[in-house]
Amino acid sequence: MTALCFQLKRRPEQRLDLSPLVPARLDGLNRKEIEALSVATTREAVTVGDVFKVKGRDVQNLHFIGTDDRCDKIGAGLTGGEIVVEGDAGMLLGARMKTGKIAVHGGAGVLAGASMAGGEIAVRRDVGDQAGGVAFGETFGMKGGFIAIGGDAGDFVGERLRRGLIVVGGNAGDYAGGRMIAGTILLRGGVGRYAGYGNRRGSLVFADKPRHLLPTYVDSGVMEFDYLRLLETWLRGQGLRIRLGGRARRLMGDMAVLGKGEMLILS
Amino acid sequence: MPELKVKGVTIVETFAEAFPMVGTRVIITAPTAEWAMISARTMTGFATSVIACGAEGGIERILPKSETPDGRPGIAVLLFTMDVDKLQTQLRNRVGQCVLTSPGSACYAGLEGGKKLKLGASLRFFGDGWQMSKVIGGRRYWRIPVMGGEFVCEDKTGLTTKAVGGGNLLVVGKSHSAVLAACTRAVRAMADVPDVITPFPGGIVRSGSKVGSKYAGQIASTNHAYAPGLKWHPDSELPPNAEAVLEIVIDGLTADAIHDAMHAGIHAIAKGGARDGVTHITAGNYGGNLGPHHFHLKEIVG
Repeated sequence: MTALCFQLKRRPEQRLDLSPLVPARLDGLNRKEIEALSVATTREAVTVGDVFKVKGRDVQNLHFIGTDDRCDKIGAGLTGGEIVVEGDAGMLLGARMKTGKIAVHGGAGVLAGASMAGGEIAVRRDVGDQAGGVAFGETFGMKGGFIAIGGDAGDFVGERLRRGLIVVGGNAGDYAGGRMIAGTILLRGGVGRYAGYGNRRGSLVFADKPRHLLPTYVDSGVMEFDYLRLLETWLRGQGLRIRLGGRARRLMGDMAVLGKGEMLILS
Repeated sequence: MPELKVKGVTIVETFAEAFPMVGTRVIITAPTAEWAMISARTMTGFATSVIACGAEGGIERILPKSETPDGRPGIAVLLFTMDVDKLQTQLRNRVGQCVLTSPGSACYAGLEGGKKLKLGASLRFFGDGWQMSKVIGGRRYWRIPVMGGEFVCEDKTGLTTKAVGGGNLLVVGKSHSAVLAACTRAVRAMADVPDVITPFPGGIVRSGSKVGSKYAGQIASTNHAYAPGLKWHPDSELPPNAEAVLEIVIDGLTADAIHDAMHAGIHAIAKGGARDGVTHITAGNYGGNLGPHHFHLKEIVG
C-alpha cells in the first residue's frame, strides 16, 4: 500500500491545525471523508481537500509534501505509525505524541515535541523555541521519547524536560534545559546563556564547554561515564554517529534548586 | 535390545529427565574482556546446583563490543532457580555483590519478555540518594556513583518460566582421562549452543547424585549405581570395564536449547571417543515420574 500523501496546494491563508491527520483519526475513513476534515484555526472554514491534494491509502504511513511554517500540529498526539514531512512543519510538531515516528526534512516551528510522552521526532534543519518544552496547558515538558534536531534549536530547548533525550546538532539558544526535571539533552554546538537554569536532576551533555556557565553549578572534575558509552551506542543504533567517548567533566547543579542535575562536558 | 552406536560409542536407550525452572539472562560489560570475564565468573561462582547454591548459573557466551549496549566487551550470563522469588533474590545478591563490586562493570538486561526481575531497580538504593535514573529508548538505566566512578545498571531484566534444568549426559569409559577429555570436548561444543549453560565446574560433574540417602536429612547422595568402585553391587549399571563416569548437566532457557546442546555434546564425545576408551553415553533419570521433560538419547542422536 502506498503512503497516504498530503501535498500542499499553495501557501495557506491561515494557520492550519493538522492534528486530525494522524493514523488513529484517519483509520477507516475514505478519501472523501478525509478531504472533508476541518483543519481551520479561524472562523473561515478550511478542509483538508481545500489545501491538500490527497493521494495514496496507507494511513499508518503519512507523507506531507511541500508543507510550510503555517502547518501546525503535524503528528500532534500521535499514537503510532510514521509521518514523513517533505517540507517544513509549523508549531507543536508531534506535541503530546505517545509513540510513532516523525521525520521532517525541513525545519519546525516552536514547541516541537512539546510534552511528548514517547516516540521519535527527527528534524533535519532548525527548530523554534521550546523544542521538547511545555505544551499549552501542561505542567511538564517532554516526558519520554527522542528528539533529534539536525540544525539549531531556539531558546528553552527541553524546558521542563522530565524524561527522554534531545539531541541538538547545531547551536541552541538561551535557557537550554531551563527548569528541566530529568532527562538528557545532548548539545553538539554552542549554547546561549543560562543553560541548565533551575535544573533538578537532568543531564546536559556538551560537546564543547559552554561560553557561559551558571555560577550555581559546582565542579566535580573529570571522570569516566559508562552512561555516555551507552548513549553513544544507542544513538548509533538510531543512525546517529556521535562520538561521545567516556570521559567528561561533571558539574553538578542547579544548586539554586535540588542540585542533583549535571552538566557533562566532553573531554 | 538393538544397540545404537555412534562412532563405536554405545548410546544407551534411555532418557535424561529434566525439570521446569525459571531463568534469566543478564549482560555484564567491563573496560576489558578480561574484567568482564572476572565479573561474570564471580557472579556465577558457587552456582552449580540448586541443591545447596540457591541457583544454577554460568556464562552463556562472550559478547563482542558490537553486541553490547555500551559498546564494551561483555559476557552473557544465565541464572536459573526453581521459582521466581528465589531467582529475584539470587539475581539481586549476585549482581549486587559480584558485578557492582567489580571494577568498571555495568549490567544490562539480557532477556525480554512480559515478566520482569528487578535489577537496578533494587541495586539503585546503594546510591544512597545520589543515584540517577536515565531512560534511553524506553529502557530505564540507573547510574550509581561508586568509588570507581559510576555503576550503570539497567532497571529490570526479563525472565522465562519455560526454562529447563537438569538435561544431562553420563559418559562411561575405560579410563578417567578418556572420559574427561571427551566431556571437555562436549562442554566446548555445547558452549556454542545459544540459551544454555553447563553450571558445574568446567561444565562437568564428577559426583552425580541420586535423590535421598540412607541418612535422615541428607536430600541427595552419591549415584552409587554409577560409581565404578561399587560395580560388584547388584544396583550397578556399569559394564565391568568401566573405570570412570562423568556427567554434564545442562540448563537452558528452552527445552529445544537443551535438546540442541545434548545433540552437540553426544557427537563431540563420540568423535574419537571410542578410540580413547569411551564406551557408553547414557543419561540420568528417575524413572520418568518426577520431571516432565524427557530427552531420549536415541531421538537426540538422529
